[in-house]
Amino acid sequence: MRFLEAVLRTVRHSRRLATGLVILGLMVLLALLSPLIVKAIGGSTDPLELAAYERWLVPGPGHLLGTDQFGRDVFAMVISALAVSLQIGAIAGLISTVVGVIVAFVAGYKGGWIDGLLSTFTGILLVIPTFPLLIALSAYAKNVSLFQVGVMISIFSWPFAAKTIRSQVLSLRSRPYVDLARVSKARDLEIIGTELLPNLLPFIGVGFASSALGAIFGLVGLEVIGLGPGGVIDLGQIIFNAINTGALTLGAWPMFVVPIALLTLLFAALNMINIGLEEVYNPRLRGVAGE
Amino acid sequence: MTTEAPPVVAVDRPQDSAPTTGVRAWLSRHPLAAYAIRRFGLYLVELWGALTIAFFFFRLMPGDPIQTLIQTLQQNYIYNQQASAEIIARYQHEFGLDGNFFSQYLKYMEKLVLHGDLGPSLINYPTPAQDVILRALPWTIGLLGISAVLAWVFGIIIGAVAGWRRGKLGSSVATNLSIALSHVPYFFIALILVYVFAYSLGMLPARSAYDSRIEPGLSPDFIGSVLKYGLLPGLSIVIIGTFSWILSTRMLMVPVLGEDYLVYAEAKGLKGWRILTRYALRNCYLPQITAFGISLGFIFNGNVLVEQLFNYPGLGTTLVTAIQQLDFNTILGVTNIAIFSVLTAVLILDLLLPLLDPRVKYWK
Repeated sequence: MRFLEAVLRTVRHSRRLATGLVILGLMVLLALLSPLIVKAIGGSTDPLELAAYERWLVPGPGHLLGTDQFGRDVFAMVISALAVSLQIGAIAGLISTVVGVIVAFVAGYKGGWIDGLLSTFTGILLVIPTFPLLIALSAYAKNVSLFQVGVMISIFSWPFAAKTIRSQVLSLRSRPYVDLARVSKARDLEIIGTELLPNLLPFIGVGFASSALGAIFGLVGLEVIGLGPGGVIDLGQIIFNAINTGALTLGAWPMFVVPIALLTLLFAALNMINIGLEEVYNPRLRGVAGE
Repeated sequence: MTTEAPPVVAVDRPQDSAPTTGVRAWLSRHPLAAYAIRRFGLYLVELWGALTIAFFFFRLMPGDPIQTLIQTLQQNYIYNQQASAEIIARYQHEFGLDGNFFSQYLKYMEKLVLHGDLGPSLINYPTPAQDVILRALPWTIGLLGISAVLAWVFGIIIGAVAGWRRGKLGSSVATNLSIALSHVPYFFIALILVYVFAYSLGMLPARSAYDSRIEPGLSPDFIGSVLKYGLLPGLSIVIIGTFSWILSTRMLMVPVLGEDYLVYAEAKGLKGWRILTRYALRNCYLPQITAFGISLGFIFNGNVLVEQLFNYPGLGTTLVTAIQQLDFNTILGVTNIAIFSVLTAVLILDLLLPLLDPRVKYWK
């Protein structure tokens, strides 16, 4: 309950954070309702079935966004792909955040050579172009489950979370109340659990949002060059299909414009949450990002 | 910064007893040189680390690419079992795939460092992978380099003005647009641009890097054609890149505006524009030089997709083709070249920074 109040208070302080959360919430809701929506569109037939309708129908009252080269309803496809994209983002974001938090705590709290080693490693992963590595990994990952895709993508998105959280651990670790806990002989884990972690929650949120963003970005990247893992239809794959089946020349714009618009909205929402959280909790930035 | 022990310190330890002479004393008298040497040491460590990560990443991947490659080769050669075993052994040796991982690693590194040799490419066998890559490299450097620099310049100018005129309508529009669009893949904008300008309006070409009817060379026709074909892919990188620089510049600009020296400059009666360019802006663009280097790897990632969409003959397209054909040496080669370029660019920018910014002090 206290936690909820704190969240509400935070949201009230930043219109940007609130906007981001509302957009994200609506998208999650849409994704949760996707089976119902797909059913409502199809009626008795499955709108995602091959040759459910005629091919290349133009958008109209029957099919809001038309149909694709196999006669599937584009609107239904987009809605269910949105659910997949969000799931990937959530899975990969969660894994990355957990790894990032662990690395950040070990590095930032312990300091010394461990910090040097871990930070150099994180830094290298952040600076070098990792997309070729991700592409290569995906080339050998056909027929994988949604969860496995998430794991695969998080190999490259945890440094985003680690970097954000480590810098906060560094600044928190020298605060008076941590010193107090230390002189009163609290164990490291105790200090981390009771003193550091609660104060880091907003930044863990930032880490989650940025790695989820990085993960969806990565998967879309893989999908649009046709190297996405098999068995997963996310928004990126719809864009890939659109390009490869000539939707560009046929003028079937809904097939790529709608997924792009949805993903852009998602990226915008995640970024708003990031910046909103930073604004509220990082006093140095307060009002800096501005209206 | 890191606490990685720079090699220099380790070498100099015996001279600790004589601080007035020797290398250590010289270093303490030349802090900038000491910084440069330490930074270069870190660069070597990073480069070695990144190349090693890349190498083992490719070799340790589940679903051995080598096996697939050999199977393909086996199917293509209709020899008897005995002969194909010999052929496999020869190919394994030639592609550097014989022996255990560690000896493969040593051999790869030795060839790479001493001879700049990345091994033969599979797509264009027996052309070495470095030749395939060097053919593609100028296109990527041209497209990515020019677009990234343009985005940086535009972003800093617009971001500084947005910070300067904060609270005004234009500024808040720019800021909010940047927040919404700074993390969108370049590829999205590229696709929309292609659809509108190439397919719907037919104004600009949608594929390739120049008109194939024009002989490549330094003729005005060819250069014009390269610019025309590069416009759409370049524009997509410039648009999104500008948005991300606007946001970070604005964040650097706003705290500067509260500084005493700006209040003083204003009290002195200087014009707003002069204060902005001479006093405020100079304090924002310098940290962005470091940020530019760090962002290059990210820009390269996005650029792969843009090149692929436009079938632009750069590193990105080479990479994707190589992956589709399981051309192992080329894939690793492109990755290594990209790693090398990005880390070197960051090194150069870091070394230039003390010369550009007199306040930067890298010594205690």
